Amino acid sequence: MGFVWHIAVRYFRSTRADAHIRALSTLTAGGLAVGTAALVLALAALAGFQSHVLEELAQHTPALQIELAGDGAAGPAGATDPARGLAELAAATNGVAGVQELLYAQGWLAAGERLFAVGVLGYERAPPPWIPVDGEAASGLIVPVSVALRMGLAVGDQVRVVSPRPGLTPVGPQPRTRTLPVDLIYGSGRADDEDDPVLLPLERAAALFARGDRRLDLTLAPGADPEEIGAFLRRGIDPAAATVTTWREANRALLFVLRLEKGLVFSAVALIVAVASFALLAALSMVLSSKRSEIGVLAAMGAPPGRLQRVFLLLGALLSVGGAGLGGAAGAALAAFLDRYRIISTPSDVYVVDYVPFLVRGADVLVVLGVTVLFTAAAAAVGARKASLLDPVEAMRSART
Amino acid sequence: MIAVSGVTRAYRDGAVRRQVLRGVDLRLARGETAAIVGPSGSGKSTLLNILGALDTPDAGSVRIDGVDLTASKPSALAGFRNRSLGFVFQFHQLLPDFTALENVMMPGRIAGRPSSPLRAGALALLERVGLADRAGDFPQQLSGGERQRIAICRALVLEPAVLLADEPTGNLDAKSGERVLELMDALRCRRDTTMVLVTHNPEVAKRCGRVLRLDGGRLTALS
Repeated sequence: MGFVWHIAVRYFRSTRADAHIRALSTLTAGGLAVGTAALVLALAALAGFQSHVLEELAQHTPALQIELAGDGAAGPAGATDPARGLAELAAATNGVAGVQELLYAQGWLAAGERLFAVGVLGYERAPPPWIPVDGEAASGLIVPVSVALRMGLAVGDQVRVVSPRPGLTPVGPQPRTRTLPVDLIYGSGRADDEDDPVLLPLERAAALFARGDRRLDLTLAPGADPEEIGAFLRRGIDPAAATVTTWREANRALLFVLRLEKGLVFSAVALIVAVASFALLAALSMVLSSKRSEIGVLAAMGAPPGRLQRVFLLLGALLSVGGAGLGGAAGAALAAFLDRYRIISTPSDVYVVDYVPFLVRGADVLVVLGVTVLFTAAAAAVGARKASLLDPVEAMRSART
Repeated sequence: MIAVSGVTRAYRDGAVRRQVLRGVDLRLARGETAAIVGPSGSGKSTLLNILGALDTPDAGSVRIDGVDLTASKPSALAGFRNRSLGFVFQFHQLLPDFTALENVMMPGRIAGRPSSPLRAGALALLERVGLADRAGDFPQQLSGGERQRIAICRALVLEPAVLLADEPTGNLDAKSGERVLELMDALRCRRDTTMVLVTHNPEVAKRCGRVLRLDGGRLTALS
C-alpha cells in the first residue's frame, strides 16, 4: 500500500473515533445514498414513462412520412401521378416494408338537419395504425365517437359527406357530396378528440376532395434505420415536390419536451447530491482540522503538497463511494421492484399506462454516478487543496500534545 | 556540510515588523554537533526551521550538502527534507493513528521505500532503543520518554545527513532526557550525522561540540 492509500485509509478509519466527524461522515454517506437512489429512481421512472410514450409514438406514427407539396405537381422524373411515383420509389427502397397513401382534407358531415365541420382522412388499404379501429370497415365511413355523439350517429346510419371543392353543374358551381353509411365508430382516447378525423377509403376521398394534403406513410422492415432511409429518399426526391420526415422529426417538439423534463428532474434531484457534497466538504474540513498538526509533521518529513492533496482526495472518495454505491444499487433495485410488481398505479384513462413504469438504463446509472463523482470530487478537491496549503510549522505549532 | 550565510528573517506581528534573525552565519562540518542556546523568542526555532527547509529566509543563503535551500522549489525541498534531514521535535509529534513501528517507518513510506527492508530497519532501531516490544502500540499507550525515543528512531530511519532537534528533552524528566540524549549520541556517532540541537538546558548544550548563542538575531560562538 502506497503512502497516499496508507494515510487516507487510516484517516478514514479514524473518522469513526470522533463523534462529530463520525456524524458528518455518516450524513455525507447517507445524503449521497439518498441522492443517488433518488436520481436513479427519478431517471428510471422518466425512462420507463418515456419508453412507453415512444412505443405509443412508434405505433401511432409512421417511421417515415413523405408529404407532397401543395399541388403535388412534381415527383420522380417520368411519373404522371406524383404520389404514385413517390410511392413506387419508396416501396423499392431497401428497408421499406410498406407504403400507404393518405389524403387529408376539411369537409362537412350532414345528417338530417345537422351539419358538422370535420377533418377527413382518406386511407389507401386499411386505417392507419394510430386510429384505434375495432372491426373491419367496408367502403363506408369510420366516424370518431366525438362526432357520432354530437350528430347522434350510429353504425349503419347514412351520412352525407360534403366537400368545399365545388363541382360545375348546369346551374353553376355546386358542392360535391356523397352519401355513405357509417361502418364503424372509434374512440381515440385523446383529450382533444374533437380533432379526430372521419375516415373513408382513399379513392372516395380523392373523388370528393381531389388532392387535399397528400402524404405517404412508410413502414420499415425490423432493424431498418429511419434516419438512413430518410436521407436516402431525400437524395432522390425534389425537395420542392415533397418533404421526407422521420418519426423523430415529426415528434421533435414532444421529444424535446421529454428531454427537457428529464434534464430538469435530474437537475432538481441532483441538488440532494450537491447538498451531500457540502456535508463531505464539512467532514473533510473537520478531519483536516483535527489532523492539522499531523499534516504538518508529514510535510516536515518530506511529504510533498501534491501527495497530501491526494490523501484528502482519496479520503473524500472513501467517504463518498460507499454512500453513492449503496444509493445507486438501492435505487436500481427499488426501481426494478416497483416496475416488476407494478406497485404504483395510475388512472389508465388519463395516462398511456395504468402503472408507473420504471426502466433502469446502464447509461443513466453511469450519468448519476458520474455526477456524484463530479460533485464529491469538487468538494474533496477544495478540502484537499486546504491540506496542501498548510504551513507545516504553523500546523505543528497549532496542536502541541 | 551546512553553510549558512547572512540569513535574515522578520515576521509581521500586526502592524509591527519583528526582526528575528539579523545576518546569521554558520558553518558546520559533517559529523559536527552544535547546540543553539538563547532566550525564548530569540529565533532559535526559526533558525532551525530555516535549516530544515520548513521556512524561507528573507535574505541570505542556506546550503546543506551542496543544495541551496533558498533557491529550490517547494517540491524539491520536500524531497530534500525526506532524503537528507531528520527532525526531532520538542513534543515528539508522533502520528496518533499509527503504531510506533508505523511512525518510525513513515519517512520511508513517504520516500516510497520497499516495505520489507524498511520494516526491518525500523524494527532494528526500535530494538536498539529498547522498544521493540512496543512496536505495535499507539503513541497514546506510551510514556513521554518512550514517545521521544520513537520520534528519534523516526528521525533516523532513513539515515539522514543532518539531524535537527528542537528541545528534544524539553518535556522529559531528567532520567528520560538523559536516555534520549545518549541515544541520539549513539545513533549519530554510528552514522556520522551532523546535528543541530536547540536547547535551553546548559547541560544538554555541553554535550555538543559547539555551543552557539542566538541573541538579538545574531549568532555568536560560546565555545
